Amino acid sequence: MFLQAVLSGIVMGCVYALIALSLVLIYKSTDVVNFAAGEFVMIAGYAGLFLLDWFHLNYAVMVVLAIVLVAVFGALFERTALNRIIGFKYNAEAALVPMVVATIGLSFVLKGVVRVIPSTEEVLRLPPLFGGPPVFLGDLVLQRQDIGIVVVAVLVMVALSLGFNFTATGKALRATSQNPRAAALIGIPVRRMRMLAWGLASALAGISGILLSPKLLMTPDMGSVVMLGIAASIIGGFTSLVGCVVGGIVLGVVQNLVGIFLSPQAIAVTPFFIIMLVLVVRPNGLFGEAMRLKKV
Amino acid sequence: MYGGLRGIELAGILLVALAGFILPHLLPGYFLYTGNMLLTYAILAIGLDLLLGRTGQFAFAHIAFFGIGIYGTALLESRVGIPFVLAMPIAACIAGAIGFLIGFPAARLKAVYLALATYAFAECAQWVFRTWDPVTGGPDGLRFPPPVIFGYQTGTDRSAFPVVAIILALVLAATLYLTKSKLGRHMCAIRDSEHVAAVSGIDVRRVKVIAFTVSAVFAGIAGGTYTLFQSFINADVLGAAQLVTVLTMIVIGGSGSIIGVLFGVVVIGLLPEVLRAMPQSLLVWQEFVYGAILVAAIVFMPQGLWGLVKPRLEARRAPKPARVAEAIRTQPKVSL
Repeated sequence: MFLQAVLSGIVMGCVYALIALSLVLIYKSTDVVNFAAGEFVMIAGYAGLFLLDWFHLNYAVMVVLAIVLVAVFGALFERTALNRIIGFKYNAEAALVPMVVATIGLSFVLKGVVRVIPSTEEVLRLPPLFGGPPVFLGDLVLQRQDIGIVVVAVLVMVALSLGFNFTATGKALRATSQNPRAAALIGIPVRRMRMLAWGLASALAGISGILLSPKLLMTPDMGSVVMLGIAASIIGGFTSLVGCVVGGIVLGVVQNLVGIFLSPQAIAVTPFFIIMLVLVVRPNGLFGEAMRLKKV
Repeated sequence: MYGGLRGIELAGILLVALAGFILPHLLPGYFLYTGNMLLTYAILAIGLDLLLGRTGQFAFAHIAFFGIGIYGTALLESRVGIPFVLAMPIAACIAGAIGFLIGFPAARLKAVYLALATYAFAECAQWVFRTWDPVTGGPDGLRFPPPVIFGYQTGTDRSAFPVVAIILALVLAATLYLTKSKLGRHMCAIRDSEHVAAVSGIDVRRVKVIAFTVSAVFAGIAGGTYTLFQSFINADVLGAAQLVTVLTMIVIGGSGSIIGVLFGVVVIGLLPEVLRAMPQSLLVWQEFVYGAILVAAIVFMPQGLWGLVKPRLEARRAPKPARVAEAIRTQPKVSL
């Protein structure tokens, strides 16, 4: 029972970690929390479902298309909306409140679009990436799709860390997040990097949408999963990519244990309690760097 | 004190109070219900703007204090038997006390971190409202009798409207005095730059904690006024959606300015009513349109509606260049 809870917590934690990575990427590039990330997750799930149902596409093609769709959408949103709010300032922090409201508005838009489609009134389910009978490890039961989730999440994380450390674009992204002004001075196209970061982050949210939709019930309101991503990234410190992964897994496990040992009612409030606790006790999280002073 | 109320401000406050007495005789009931909601939202938004627009603290916990105000007033009246005139201030003080306690850890946090911590607090508070069965009635909600103020029976939209309007007028007066006081100046200094404020000898943490407390008291007062025209409360009213509504009112209207916030309250408050009047077949698009308007408004006027209007007003009020030249020319020459 205990081990089983830990195991399924790790599986869910991997998905939370992907959402957290998406949030942190955006935070590092634009200094804003993307409250619409949960809706990106939802859109990817629905897009996948409709691509399968209406166009009878191959599953692999569907996955790629759905993720690309969300990525392009995220990048476009940055280009058209946020870029205008930030203006030509290299420091985005000053525009925090309008940007947060813009992402909240975006989440309404996306939810609204999905609600307009008649079939979304009932609860739908996306077929999983890997089907088949569950695998038994001693007493533990493991669904094949759970194994798939962990494998995909780990692959994505490895790809991200390789990309950030060994490619020129990845290094340019990191430079932009550390000091946009200096990055612009040495010839990095800061605005294009910001758009790229949004595209990449939206793709991550899209991947978690494809992974999560078979496990959760799909409704237009499933975007509330963003709070789990936020909690995971807060545990990790909100600026650290490694922290996100650890934070996601810790959150997944803690949630399951709370469900068993405290009460199932308390599961819903766990992420918020964790956010509060971590921010009060250790504002930089477990892996976060000290908050930089950006403006005097 | 850096100057009392200006004539036009006093006139505005009196106008609000006066409207409270006149409008109930003119408008139909549904308009008055919407009006009551708008006035309550105005108190909420002005309180949140003290933190957001004046002190520059991106705090999200406001709706929790609103809830404490509602449940506090309702429970003190119905269970303890304290009259409304005392119950509302006590509930507002409880909200303020909790805001004071929140203020200490919150004063250490900045920007997004503060927003997330306070948002998490609001969600936790909503969870408490929803699950604390013996006190809040749990998911079924809480019914409470309409308050009586010195023999004046409220409870309907028509009878509550004057009282709500007077409370808003008092809140407006208090806010105006606050923003003109030394404390108000300190708040603005912290918003513009915490470091410069600290160097100038302002106790940043103290001012922040006071701002949190006052803002929570205002939210508590808003909660008290809510009980004047509603007879039922349930935790669903105190969720993220309402928080977002208040936040967008401030941002769309123009944060840091009372007129701007009131602007935003009217525009965003009436938007759902306008959208509801759309043809039946388009009704499903309601949420989409609301979101699209929100994004468009933010993108095209990041300073809010008031940010569009204000520069034009000031340009008109400023002396014309020709007049300035004239004044310089006719100035008596100073002989050395």
